[in-house]
Amino acid sequence: MNQPRAAKLTWLLIAIVGALTVFPVLMLVLGSFSEGLTAFGVFTLDKYVDAYTDPALAEVMLNTVIFVIGASVLSTVLAVFLAYLNTRTDIPFKFLFGILSVIPMMIPHLLFSVSWALLLNPSNGLLNLGLKEVFGLEEAPLDIYSMWGMILVEGLLDMPIAYLIIAPAMASFDVALEESSRVSGASAWKTLFRITLPVLRPAILAAFILGIVRSLASFAVPSVIGMPGRVPVLATHLYEMIATGFATDYGKAAAVGMSVLAASVTLIVVYRALTAESEKFVTIAGRGFKTTVIELGAARMPLFALVGVLSFVLIVLPVAVLAYTSFMPYSMVPSARAFSMMTLKHWRDVLGDPISILALKNSLFLAVVGATLGVVLSVFVAYVIVKVKTRAAGILDSLSYLSFSFPGIVIGVGFMWFFVQTPLYSTIWALLLGYIATYLPYGIRPMSSAFVQIHSHLEESSLVCGASPLTTLKRIIVPLLIPGIVSGWILLASMFVRELTLSVVLSRPGTEVLAVQILRFSEDGLWGKLSALGIVMIAITTALVVLATWVGSRFKTA
Amino acid sequence: MEIRIRGVSKHYFSEGKTIKALDDVTLTIPARKIFTLLGPSGCGKTTLLRCIVGLEMPDTGEISIGDDVVWSRDKAISVPPEKRGLGMVFQTYAIWPHMTVFDNVGYPLQVRGAPRDEVRERVAKALDFVQLAGFEGRPATKLSGGQQQRVALARALVAEPRVILFDEPLSNLDAKLREETRKELRAFLEKLQITAVYVTHDRVEALALSDTIAVMRAGSIIEIGTPRKIYFDADHRFVADFIGRANLFKARVRGEQGGHTVVDCPLGTIACQRRDFPAGGEATLCLRPEFIHLVRGEAPAGHNIVNARIETLTFVGENYETEIRVGEELLLARVDADASIAVGDAVSFSLDPAHCLLVAA
Repeated sequence: MNQPRAAKLTWLLIAIVGALTVFPVLMLVLGSFSEGLTAFGVFTLDKYVDAYTDPALAEVMLNTVIFVIGASVLSTVLAVFLAYLNTRTDIPFKFLFGILSVIPMMIPHLLFSVSWALLLNPSNGLLNLGLKEVFGLEEAPLDIYSMWGMILVEGLLDMPIAYLIIAPAMASFDVALEESSRVSGASAWKTLFRITLPVLRPAILAAFILGIVRSLASFAVPSVIGMPGRVPVLATHLYEMIATGFATDYGKAAAVGMSVLAASVTLIVVYRALTAESEKFVTIAGRGFKTTVIELGAARMPLFALVGVLSFVLIVLPVAVLAYTSFMPYSMVPSARAFSMMTLKHWRDVLGDPISILALKNSLFLAVVGATLGVVLSVFVAYVIVKVKTRAAGILDSLSYLSFSFPGIVIGVGFMWFFVQTPLYSTIWALLLGYIATYLPYGIRPMSSAFVQIHSHLEESSLVCGASPLTTLKRIIVPLLIPGIVSGWILLASMFVRELTLSVVLSRPGTEVLAVQILRFSEDGLWGKLSALGIVMIAITTALVVLATWVGSRFKTA
Repeated sequence: MEIRIRGVSKHYFSEGKTIKALDDVTLTIPARKIFTLLGPSGCGKTTLLRCIVGLEMPDTGEISIGDDVVWSRDKAISVPPEKRGLGMVFQTYAIWPHMTVFDNVGYPLQVRGAPRDEVRERVAKALDFVQLAGFEGRPATKLSGGQQQRVALARALVAEPRVILFDEPLSNLDAKLREETRKELRAFLEKLQITAVYVTHDRVEALALSDTIAVMRAGSIIEIGTPRKIYFDADHRFVADFIGRANLFKARVRGEQGGHTVVDCPLGTIACQRRDFPAGGEATLCLRPEFIHLVRGEAPAGHNIVNARIETLTFVGENYETEIRVGEELLLARVDADASIAVGDAVSFSLDPAHCLLVAA
């Protein structure tokens, strides 16, 4: 592409992406200084004063800090442990690790949280009921509706992402670094703690920080587990200000949201610096390198059993509990009697419920249309980021990364301030725009790596062979991009099907979506209906992920 | 087809600095010969190649291929690469991974709208030529490095281009395969009688392949000549040093004697290949290690006879590499692998004036 045209395209994309990402932030800032949704633009500091003198805020802040650090420590430690076992030892059935790392795609966070509530809630959690029967206890021994429950569930949910950051770093680790430590007289354990983990420190820290960002933005766990247990964190604090009670206060929510957003953006900046650092740290030059495998010996089977239990807890249990609950008239421990009482009542109720059906339709529409528009935008943005290396392209790169750090509920408040001024308010298009803006980085990433793979020589070679730029686009570039386009589409579609945090703010009567409807069921304690609808949601996202894997393997030759 | 390059310059801007990639290059590349652009990395050789093929635009000057001007700033002519009718082999081969060998090689014909039968026939011919007959149906990714290289060559040749260009095509192969492929390539190109422009930083490759070598440095062409001329008879110190291992000494010209130019240098008074340097002027004496034939023991003083002492000996398989001391100077030389010689031994050698090369200081 010639330079003036590329520059024009770059600035057009900066305008679009800027409008999608910077705009809601701007609205959030303006909103936090405004009187209210109806009195936009009247400058006041009242909302800040109000928000930050709230006596409840101190407890919320403390809870948030404990929650995000606890969850992130748990997910990082688990990820380091699993990554080490998979990349460096002779543990059997390594395919399990690959499965463990794609779970978050298949099981929506909301349903994962619900399934733990179904298992461990103090009044009729299945596991609690079972334990009471076995040990003849009066009280439920475990209560998921607590800080430790939140940390456990959030930690498990964030583990796969931490794993995806740490495992590649470990796999590309130059074993000579370890071997020279052993030769110098250090034991295997000493080498692990003195050499291996310190060298991997940037990757581990990056995983830890990303865990903090994600749990700060998490809404599913705080709402399903934290709210019944009266453990408010910032996300639920915000939600209560705008969605419950009679006195919704968007200005106050925006004022609190500003500090969440600031924290999140700062952490993402640190995260980006760390990942750049970790690439420098463990990159191995040249070929002829192979990892040595550490023999676990007697520890092999016990460690494998541990991984097996973890896989069970992460994959099988949530789905099984939901499926079981969807067929039960009320909560009871699985038994012959329980199975004989199985009923399709909840399924009939849900499929006959006009709001649930509307939510399903809306979610499918958002997934298909949103993912398509998102991918089209991502193709152009990725092209400019990878192939047009001007300063403006660098701005676009940073801009498109920005929404990665947006906590959905906070940015939702920003969008709210905007949409209420426009006819888009309470239409499905508001959700569509919000989804694309918030999830754009997830579309851009697979597209950029697809573009990176297309070495400029492949394009140039076609020109030298006599093909026009258009023919080159048709016969060389697009065919090579298809795998990236397909996987980007499916990733976005599966995220849109289960979107919760942005939707709880933007969804209005008539624009319900699946996740919001499930949250309503959860708030009303309608576990049976919830499970039935949840299984439908899991079926859709699983189908999309399976499709993605299949398409991915078909195009693997490239 | 002859390529004429007139006054071509090209600048890059990087981090606020201007880098001269090409500095007013004027050059004629003869038809039906293998012409090599040789130089250290960053000397502008690849930029020049990409300007010829049309993937980059020079800032000034004119380039013509045969009778057609393909680029001219003054005449505002800029023919895009796909209209120049050339063939090129890229450093990465640029084999399209989503196509079979047949589609890769047939592509230049397909995009020109050649009929199917003709495409099939000519692809078969091209593959046969590069000794890959029968590979048509293979996916391009199922080829070894050497095979990919030959597919790239077949693709560059299949449309019978006016000129074929090579951008370091052997640098991704391992040492042994590189040597074999180099020989094959030479044979292919000799058979084809086509104008070939070849870019490399490897001097052995350049010497073995080329009819003519142009040595480049910092965006300029320093010297052009046949491989023998460049190796034995370079005019420039940079070229003499770059093209092979060389012992270089400062020398002062005494004058001419018996068809030789005689100089004073740290080795003594040496008669060299005749050069037009003024008496009393400074020059550089260049001695290649392979022409220093060592004899054991001290020799009586005489014309072009030098006495030395072995300083180090390194066994490298086919022979010893040795450093010998003459006064203050250390020289690199070679000794036969089976010679009975030891560190500290006195040696002598006599220099043939034809192998004593004088270049400008």
